Amino acid sequence: MTLLLKAWGLYARLTARYPAIRSIVPFIPVVALWAAVAEAEVFPRAFFPGPLEVARSFVSLVYKGILPDYLEDSLLRLAVGTAAGMALGIPLGVLVGLNARARAMLWPVLLFFQAIGDIAWLPILLIWFGFSLTTMTFVIVYTVLFPVVLNTALGVRRVPVELHRAARSLGASHARVVWEVVLPGALPNIMTGLRNGLGYGWRALIAAEIIVGTSGIGFLMFDARRAGSVVEILLGMIVLGLLWYIVDSWVLAPIERATGQRWGLVTQ
Amino acid sequence: MLAARPRFSRPLAAATFLAPLLVLLLLWEGLVRGFGVDPRVFPNVESVARAGFDTLQDGSLLRHVGASLGRVAVGTALAIVISIPLGVAMGLSPVVSGFLTPLFRFFSVLAGIAWIPIATLWFGYGFGAITFVIFNAVFFVVAYNTLLGVASIPLPLRHAAASLGAGGWTMLTQVLLPGALPNIVTGVRTGLGFAWRGLIAAEMIATNVGLGYMLFLARDFYRTEVIVFGMIVIGILWLLIDRLLLAPLERATIERWGMVHRA
Amino acid sequence: MKNLTLRELSKTYFDPYAGAHLTAVHDVSLTVQQGEFVSIVGPSGCGKTTLLNMIAGFIPVSGGEILLDGRAVKGPGPERGVVFQSFALFPWKTVLENVAFGPKMRGLPRPECESVAREYLALAGLAHAADRYPNELSGGMQQRVGVVRALANNPDVLLMDEPFASVDAQTRMTLQEELTRIWQERRPTIIFITHDVGEAVFLADRVVVLSKGRVLKELGVALPRPRAWDLVIEDSAYKAVSAEVLHLVRSA
Repeated sequence: MTLLLKAWGLYARLTARYPAIRSIVPFIPVVALWAAVAEAEVFPRAFFPGPLEVARSFVSLVYKGILPDYLEDSLLRLAVGTAAGMALGIPLGVLVGLNARARAMLWPVLLFFQAIGDIAWLPILLIWFGFSLTTMTFVIVYTVLFPVVLNTALGVRRVPVELHRAARSLGASHARVVWEVVLPGALPNIMTGLRNGLGYGWRALIAAEIIVGTSGIGFLMFDARRAGSVVEILLGMIVLGLLWYIVDSWVLAPIERATGQRWGLVTQ
Repeated sequence: MLAARPRFSRPLAAATFLAPLLVLLLLWEGLVRGFGVDPRVFPNVESVARAGFDTLQDGSLLRHVGASLGRVAVGTALAIVISIPLGVAMGLSPVVSGFLTPLFRFFSVLAGIAWIPIATLWFGYGFGAITFVIFNAVFFVVAYNTLLGVASIPLPLRHAAASLGAGGWTMLTQVLLPGALPNIVTGVRTGLGFAWRGLIAAEMIATNVGLGYMLFLARDFYRTEVIVFGMIVIGILWLLIDRLLLAPLERATIERWGMVHRA
Repeated sequence: MKNLTLRELSKTYFDPYAGAHLTAVHDVSLTVQQGEFVSIVGPSGCGKTTLLNMIAGFIPVSGGEILLDGRAVKGPGPERGVVFQSFALFPWKTVLENVAFGPKMRGLPRPECESVAREYLALAGLAHAADRYPNELSGGMQQRVGVVRALANNPDVLLMDEPFASVDAQTRMTLQEELTRIWQERRPTIIFITHDVGEAVFLADRVVVLSKGRVLKELGVALPRPRAWDLVIEDSAYKAVSAEVLHLVRSA
């Protein structure tokens, strides 16, 4: 019993010094359980391989250069799509946030098109652009656009009117008010929009790669499924999950928190 | 001074919502006719309406919508029934919840579309695989959010309830569930969002009935009017789900209790 | 002489719930001399904030005109600085950056903006807080920053909208004394809005009593300067003027 307590104490001290450990350790028993279930062949090996096989496949795919290539393709598309989505979405969000008339006219349109969803556009996009990069980029831009616009608009509206007035009475022109007051004030919400947008965005990417597929992690998984190779499907899922987990928890969420807390603003 | 709500607020709200969409409709018709757009590229309003009417008449629309909604309903119901009690159980102990949070966060982050390939492998094509994807999306997200919600209920609150004589069932229904409800509702909204997307995507590749399938099939025959009609149906369905199900749920729970929790 | 003249200023707006036009300000005429400190005092809803918002250019005028140095004013501008009840400091900028904002908008080069800002921070005794963010400061300190931020822009008129209403009573008295000190040093023209009669009399050369959108009476305040609360509060002239103003405000 004391051994257990000692181990517990060690764990507590370690995680206090290196909080990242707390995010990693819980996965150890899961992986162990996975290995055990796979070994016990509760499900046929072909349907439920163990972690070792997945790891071996990982090494082999990296060695062959396939995984890094696909990963690069996926990430590049996501980055380009997201950048375009934000470049379009933030100005649109500012417009909708500041101008009541624009909001009345555009809000229902935005909500409706968001409701259609990115994936429902694939069939018509395939007709227009075929199985191409344009199709995939469009889907990602579409997906990222709406959370960014809606959250930006929300953030813009939450900037207190007094800050607008203070800036104007200090000599700022309308344009400068947007740059110096509205955008910084809306930044926490913009970050939330980016985070949500990316969350939907990578899912849209995977779906597009599955359906349109020429390369990318989604394609890897679907191709493996066609070949009946579960190992690579699992590998793809784990890579995706890890990637997004890392980006979201250790890059996006802290930025969102930092911008909100640093300035004493309340994040959505 | 109490603000009086004008008597026509509800229909007025609906009208202000629909008006820009009607303008869009007119714009659509104007552009397609004005530029003489090839119907194989983009259909005009009339052909879409006609296509829609046809699918309604021959019953195919009902079949597809029924299949899609049926899968969503089953998958969601199953997921919620399992994930909420599980989330509550996990959230009770700070040690357990702290340990499990990264795990469930990982899985909720992966939830939905990424499972399509493996779902079709495990369950074959059709109802099973698609419902699994939906179940998966809702399950992990709701479990994660429930866990967070219960874990964030201040311990003194639970102690107070216990010292006032609350037993297990009372504690659950009067303290834990209400306390975690804002998070649960947020989880349902997010999970359903992922599930809906996963549904459409999965139906495009893994079945022969459903809205996604209807769209994908139409593509093969360049029947853009069916595609556009299908897209509109999907949009309307989601708006209905959002306005009639999710928004009232959020209003009844989050706003009523004046709490805003974030996962 | 850069005087501010209000000529038959009025403001009406349509209230949908009342279903009628309401007049917030009725034909207010007033002249404020350069370097004067004028308090406008009145009960809640008397239109004083509306009046200030019109002078500041935040809301349009329904009738009459506002002339600064003989020229009509339109919209907000740096020649009419504003100090807000809620401080309205930019939370994402440091104290220094906040105070340097006005000079920056005027296009001054960076080093000059900074030196002007530091000069005014020193005036308010806030040099040590230059690199802090507003949410790290107390309410009293934040409002000091608000005041010098407006002053750093060298406005022709400083408009203060119940600036000390959000701080506690003791801090308020300190801030009032500091305001008079700064005013004596720099002699800006100040229009000070408040519902606190004692505050209005303590600070000003002239008190304008507003009620239901109209000017009831203007009273001169002949107390010697500099003014400190422990002395003024016993002063019979102060008591007399305050009593009269209070009576006017309450009976309106």
